[in-house]
Parts: sequence; C-alpha cells; structure tokens
Amino acid sequence: MPPDSSPPTLESLLHGVGAVPSLPLFHERLDEAINHPRSSITDISKIISEDQGLTARILKLANSPFYGYFSKIDTISQAVTIIGVQQVRDLALAVSVMGLFKGIPEDLITMELFWKHSIGCGLTARALATTLREANLERFFVGGILHDIGRLVMFITIPELCREMIETCRNEGRLLYEVERERLGFDHGAVGGMLLRNWKIPFRISEPAEFHHYCQRACQYPRETAILHVADLIAHALEFGNSGELLVPSLDTAAWNGLALSHNQLPMIIKQVDIQFADTIAVLQGDAGE
Amino acid sequence: MTVLRLESLNPGMVLSRDVCDRKGRVLLPAGAELTEKHLRIFQTWGVVEADITGDGGDDQDPAPFADDIDQAALAEAGAAVERLFIHCDPELPVIKELKHACLLRKVSDAS
Repeated sequence: MPPDSSPPTLESLLHGVGAVPSLPLFHERLDEAINHPRSSITDISKIISEDQGLTARILKLANSPFYGYFSKIDTISQAVTIIGVQQVRDLALAVSVMGLFKGIPEDLITMELFWKHSIGCGLTARALATTLREANLERFFVGGILHDIGRLVMFITIPELCREMIETCRNEGRLLYEVERERLGFDHGAVGGMLLRNWKIPFRISEPAEFHHYCQRACQYPRETAILHVADLIAHALEFGNSGELLVPSLDTAAWNGLALSHNQLPMIIKQVDIQFADTIAVLQGDAGE
Repeated sequence: MTVLRLESLNPGMVLSRDVCDRKGRVLLPAGAELTEKHLRIFQTWGVVEADITGDGGDDQDPAPFADDIDQAALAEAGAAVERLFIHCDPELPVIKELKHACLLRKVSDAS
C-alpha cells in the first residue's frame, strides 16, 4: 500500500490489494451438499475426504480429549454420524482457515502465536457454551478461531499502519481495538465481519466475530457474541498466544451479566480449557506451515 | 441469601435455593441442611457454589493461595498482572477471579 495520508476504508482493505486469501472452493461445495435435501451422509463425507490433510486433522481432533469419546473414530462418515454434519462442517472451516494466511511480517505477529490465541479463545468459548448448556458447540470453537481474522487482513494490507498502532499501544498502555477505531473509524472486528460475509460464512458465525468488542451492536446473535467476548477476555487473561493486543480488553459488564454465569465457575472452565489446549494445538498446528 | 463457593460451605448451613448439577437437575432442594456427604456429592457433580440462608457476605474474592506459594514471585507477578488488567474494573468479582488465575499461572510458570 503506498504511503497515504488518508486512512484506508473498510472496502479498500478487502479489495484494494488482492492479497487477502479466498476460502477454498471446497467449502462452497460442502455447503451445497449440506443444504441439498437429497444429499446423504456419504455424499458429504466424500467431499471432505477428498482433502486428505483436512480429513486427517478432523479425525485427530475427533479422537483427542477435545471430544472425549470412548470409541475410536476413524472415518469421516463416522465423525459426521457421531459429531453431526453442522459440527464437522464448522470444524472443517476452522481447520482450513488456519492455513490460508501467509506472508505476514514476522515482527507484527507470528502465525503460531496468533492461532494459539485464537484456539485458546475457541476452546474457552466452547467451554463457556458447555457450562451454559448451549447446543451445537462447534460454532463457538470456530467463532474463536475466526474472531480476530480481521487483524490478519490488516497486517497484510496495511502493515505500516498496524506497526504504528501497536507501537502507540505499547507506549501509551492503550487497547489496540480502540486505537484502530480512532485511526481508521472501525476495528478489526468490522474487517473480519466483512471478510466472513464475503466468504459467505453463516451469520451465526460472522456476527459474533464482527462484534466481539461491541456486544451491544449484535442484534441476531447477542448471546453468541457475549460468549465470544468473554472467551476473548479469558484467553487474554490466561495469556494464550498473541493477536497483536497487548493488554486484557475491558469487560462489557452488560454482556457478562446477561450470560448469568457465576465467577465461581471460572476456575472449572479454565481447568477444562487447560486440559484440551496442548492437544488441540498439537493437532491443529502439528504440521503447520507446509 | 449468601452465595458461597464450594470450599466455603460447611455442614450445618441451610440452603436458600435449590442446588443443581451442570445439567440443571436438582441435587438438593432449598431448605435442606448441608451434611458432609452432601458436600462430597456436590464436588462429584461439579457444583461450584450454593446459596445459603443468613446474611454473611458473598464470596466475592477468589480462593486464597496455598500457604507454600513463593511470596517474592507472587509480588513480582502481581505487578505484571496489574499492568495487563489496567483496562478492567478491579472491583468486579469476575475480573478478580481472572486476575487470580493469571497470577497463579505466572507464578507456576516462573518456578
């Protein structure tokens, strides 16, 4: 991006440079198959199984303490039957997005640290949702994986400005998403939300990612958004990886109170996340970078 | 009505609200007097707190640290935790709990 005095717009970030990756075509086919009334589990499994790397990771994940099933799951169709179609679809999304972003300056962020934060947030969101007795837990996990994805877009398209904003935060002890809003007029959530909409990711996943620092603006999925907001905070507090933000974001008390969780439940949730963290990282980052 | 966490509950206390497990099933109804056995069962079923009669203060603060914790390391980590949470309201019980978890982690990583 040429040095420019006027701040970039939200649209220019996603369309200006062309470095922003697109989602593999396979997700569109997968969605089509899932939404088609006459497709069977075999059809859906076949599409996923075509990608061997993805298949291997999904199976490893399904057999890790993340799920805690007693019997071994060794085919995708078993995974689809036991875990569920939507759930496997969400997992596939989480797994394939992690390999998409390349060429980000290492002094801004390493992919390893970035995904550690995202996975930590995903696991925490999932654990919170479990405690709150929510259904379809995988959407919370994928929500955590995707919540800061807008920042990757910013690191690719406006690295200089990002470096400057992070520097400002370091010197003045401020929060990065607030500096983003001040300098750009929007934060990384808005960028991520737009990217996910471009990718045609369902609203139930894109809205929480878009408003995880703006819970009151989520109109369709306020509960999912609040869970993601709290999970992000916990992931920061436990210092899982790094997403560019140096400090713990401030808590939206209305969002927290709305969840009706007790602070006494946190130690148990944290313990649960700790048990899963190392294994999930190993499965998802095991051979990252190929 | 006082909300106490599991470790602060003692036999003889009387419940002012039903205690449920994580799936929402009632384990012990309001009005019951706690016994040693109840507390063991609560632990097994993942109960983290209970509402008891009387007007003591709620358990707002996290459980205290173990006695054998390294005090010097604790003080050093404490300063780092304060910096990390500078944008959070220190009076909220949830923030207290998170700071506590963060502190524990820093101390155990250091040792």
